[in-house]
Amino acid sequence: MKINRKFPVVIAGIAALLVLWVAVGFEGNELPYLTIEELQETGTSESAKRFRLGGNVQEGSVVRAEENPLDLSFNLSQGGETLPVRYHKIVPDMFKEGGEVIVEGYYVDGEFRADNLMTKCASRYEGDLREAESSG
Amino acid sequence: MNTMPLYGATLLNLSLGLAVLSLLILTLYVKRGDYRLFLTGQRAALGASFLILLATTTLLASLVRGNFDVDFVARYTSSATPLTFKFAALWAGQSGSLLFWLLILSLYATIVIFQNRNRHRVLMPYVIITLVTIQLFFLLLVNFVSNPFAPVEVDFAIQDGLGLNPLLQNWVMAIHPPMLYLGYVGFSVPFAFAIASLLSGKLDALWVRTIRRWTLFTWLVLGCGVLLGGYWAYNELGWGGYWAWDPVENASLMPWLTGTAFVHSIIIQEKKNMLRVWNMILIIATFVLTIFGTFLTRSGVVSSVHSFTQSSLGPMFLGFVLLIVSVSVFLLVKRLQDLRSETRMKSFLSRESGFLFNNVIFVSLCFVVIWGTLFPIVSEAVRGTQISVGIPFFNQIAVPLGLLLLLLAGVGPLLAWRKTSRESLIRNFSVPVLIGLTAFLVSTFFGIRSFYPSVTIAFSFFVLGAIGLEFYRGIRVRMKKFRENIFQALMKMVSKNRSRYGGYIVHTGIVLMFIGFVGKAFDAEQDWTMRVGDEVRLADYTISLSNLREEERPNHYAWIASLVVTKGEREITRLYPEKRIYFHRNPDPNRRQPHSELDIYSTLKEDIYAVFGGIDTGENLVSMKIMVNRLVRWVWIGGYLLLLGTIIALWSPRKKLKS
Repeated sequence: MKINRKFPVVIAGIAALLVLWVAVGFEGNELPYLTIEELQETGTSESAKRFRLGGNVQEGSVVRAEENPLDLSFNLSQGGETLPVRYHKIVPDMFKEGGEVIVEGYYVDGEFRADNLMTKCASRYEGDLREAESSG
Repeated sequence: MNTMPLYGATLLNLSLGLAVLSLLILTLYVKRGDYRLFLTGQRAALGASFLILLATTTLLASLVRGNFDVDFVARYTSSATPLTFKFAALWAGQSGSLLFWLLILSLYATIVIFQNRNRHRVLMPYVIITLVTIQLFFLLLVNFVSNPFAPVEVDFAIQDGLGLNPLLQNWVMAIHPPMLYLGYVGFSVPFAFAIASLLSGKLDALWVRTIRRWTLFTWLVLGCGVLLGGYWAYNELGWGGYWAWDPVENASLMPWLTGTAFVHSIIIQEKKNMLRVWNMILIIATFVLTIFGTFLTRSGVVSSVHSFTQSSLGPMFLGFVLLIVSVSVFLLVKRLQDLRSETRMKSFLSRESGFLFNNVIFVSLCFVVIWGTLFPIVSEAVRGTQISVGIPFFNQIAVPLGLLLLLLAGVGPLLAWRKTSRESLIRNFSVPVLIGLTAFLVSTFFGIRSFYPSVTIAFSFFVLGAIGLEFYRGIRVRMKKFRENIFQALMKMVSKNRSRYGGYIVHTGIVLMFIGFVGKAFDAEQDWTMRVGDEVRLADYTISLSNLREEERPNHYAWIASLVVTKGEREITRLYPEKRIYFHRNPDPNRRQPHSELDIYSTLKEDIYAVFGGIDTGENLVSMKIMVNRLVRWVWIGGYLLLLGTIIALWSPRKKLKS
C-alpha cells in the first residue's frame, strides 16, 4: 500500500511544478495594453518593452513611401490623442483610414514602431470574422 | 406582408412551452413513478425538438428566398450570395448560430431518445431532463435575447442585403463551424448520462459504457472542427500559420483537451472500475467548457477577432455555467462515498498510471490554456490594465507538455496492466528506444540541432517504433497460430480489437502532426515590393513576377499576379495570388472590401505560399509576401489518420448492454 499514498504526493508535486512554471512563463511574455496617454507618460524609459495599443487610423494620415509601399506610416488616434506609427510589412486586407486597429511594438523617440498590426472588423461585418494577422 | 418571421417566432415560443411542459411532467414522473407520465414527458421533449427543426427550416427558407425584412437575413446574405453560402449564413451571425446550436442539440436528443427507447429505464428520465434543461436555456436566449426572426431595424434598411463576408465564402468555412458545433453540443449527451447516473444513484460503469461511442464520435468531430479551422486559417488568412492561440481557438481546444483525457480515462473505468469520481469530474468539466467556450465566443469579453460585438449574452452564459457547476458539484459531493472505488493503483510502472499521467498532463494543459486566455480579464480586474500574454507564453508551456504527451503515447502501450516487471521493461523498450535514438542521430547529422525539434523527432520515432512493435507482435502471433499471411493477420487482428488498434492509428496520426509542427522551426518568410520583371530569392528558390493582369468578375474586381518559381535552372511551379476588391454594391469605393486570395504550392517537404499584399496602381508596384513553410502537409495527413483511426475504434462490435 506504500505506492498508494505516493500517488497523490507525486501528482501534487507535478501540479506545484506546473504552477511555478506557468508563473515563470509570464515573465517577458507580458504584453500590456496601454492607451496613448499612458504610453506618453511612461515615455522613453520603457522603450525596450513591447506594448500593445488600440485606436483608429486617423483619416488622411496614411502615407506610403514612394519607392516602397511596404514602408507605411500613419497616425493612431485614441480619445483625442494621436501617435505616429510606422510599420514595414504587408497590411491586412481590412486596414483602412478611419478603421480600428491594434498595433504591437516598441515606443522609440516619440514614434511607435509596430511589428504587428491587426485590424478590427468593419462594423458592416459583425459576423464570425477573423481578420488576417500580418504575422504569425 | 411576409408571414414567415411570425411563423418562425411562434414555433420558437411553442417549443419553449413544450420544453417547460416536458420538464414538469418528467419531474412528476420521478416523484410518482407512473410510466405513462414518462412517455408523455418524453413525447413533449420530442415535440419541442421537432418544433426547433421546423423553426430552423423556416429561417433557412427565409435566407434562401432572401426575406430581407428579417434583420438576420439582411445582415448576412444578399441577393448575390451563392446558394451554398445562404445556407452557411445560418451560423454566420449570433442569433442564427444560437438556433443552429439548438437544432443540433434537438437532433441529438431525438437520437438518444430513440436509441434508448427500450433501454436504461432508470437513467433515461434523468437524461431527458438534463438535455431538456440545456435546451431550455438556449430556447430562452433565442426567444427573449437574440431572436433570429427579429424584423429589420428602421435605420438599417438595405434592399438586397449586405452579403456574407468574402473570408467566409469558402468551402472550409461552410463546414468548419458546423463540425465544431456538432462536437461542442455532442458532449451534452455524455454529460446528461453522467448527471443521470448521479441523480439516479446508479453509479456502476453502465453510463460510461453507454456513452463510449457517443464520446468518441463527439471527440472526433470536435477534433476535425479544430483542425479544419486551422486549415481554413492557413489557406485563407494569409499569415502562413494554422494556430495563433486566439481566445476563440483556445475556446475550442479546451473541451477537446479535457475530452481527450476523458476518452482515455473511461477505458480505466470500463476495464478496472477505477477513476469513477475523476470521470464524472472530467465530463462535467468538458461540458462546462463547451458552454464557457460559447460564452467566450459570443460575449466579446476577451478581445478576440471572432467575438461578436457588444452582446447581452455574456452574463446569461456565465449564470448558466455557474448553475451547471453548482448543481454538478452538489450531486458529486452527495454521491462521493458511493463513487469511491475499491481498486487502487499498484505501481508507477503500470498501464493504469500511464493513463493517469496522461490525464494529469491533458488537464494541466487545459488549465494553462484557460489561464492564458482569461489573463487579460483577470489583470484588468486586478491591475486596471489589460495584459495579454501572447503566443510565446502558450508555446513555452504547451510545447514541453505536448512532448510529454507524445512520449506517453509510446510508453503507455508498452507498460503492462497492474505492474511491469523489469524484464518486460527491457524487452519492450529496447527496440523503440533504439529507433528513437537512431532518428535523433540521423537528424543531428542532417543539421537539425535545435532542442525542441531534435527532441520531437526522437520522441516521434520512439512512438512510431512502439506502435510498430505492437503491430509486429500481434501479427506474428496470428501468423504462427492461425497460419495466416501478413495481410490476413493484420486485418483479423485489427478487426478483433478495433478500439485498441484504432487508438494506435490515432496515435500515429498525432505523431505525424507533431512532425508537421516541427517544420514551423524552419520556415522562411519575407515581404517584398515588386514590379513586373523583378526577381527575389527566398530559401533555395528564385521567384519572379512575370505578369500582372486585371479582371472584372461578377462580384469583385481582381488583380492577378503570375509568379514563376525556379530552383537552380528548373521551373518548380507557377503561382497566381490575387488581390480582389469586392463590390458589395457600396457606393463608397473606400468602403469596399479588399481581399487577398493566396496561392500555395504544396509538397510533403514544404509549401511555397504567396500572398498578394497590396497594389499601388499608379506606380505599378505590388507588395508580396512569400513564405516557405516546411512540413505543413504532415499536419493534415496526421489529421486524416486521426479520422481513420477513430472510425475504426468506433466500429467496435456492439456489446450487449443490460439495464
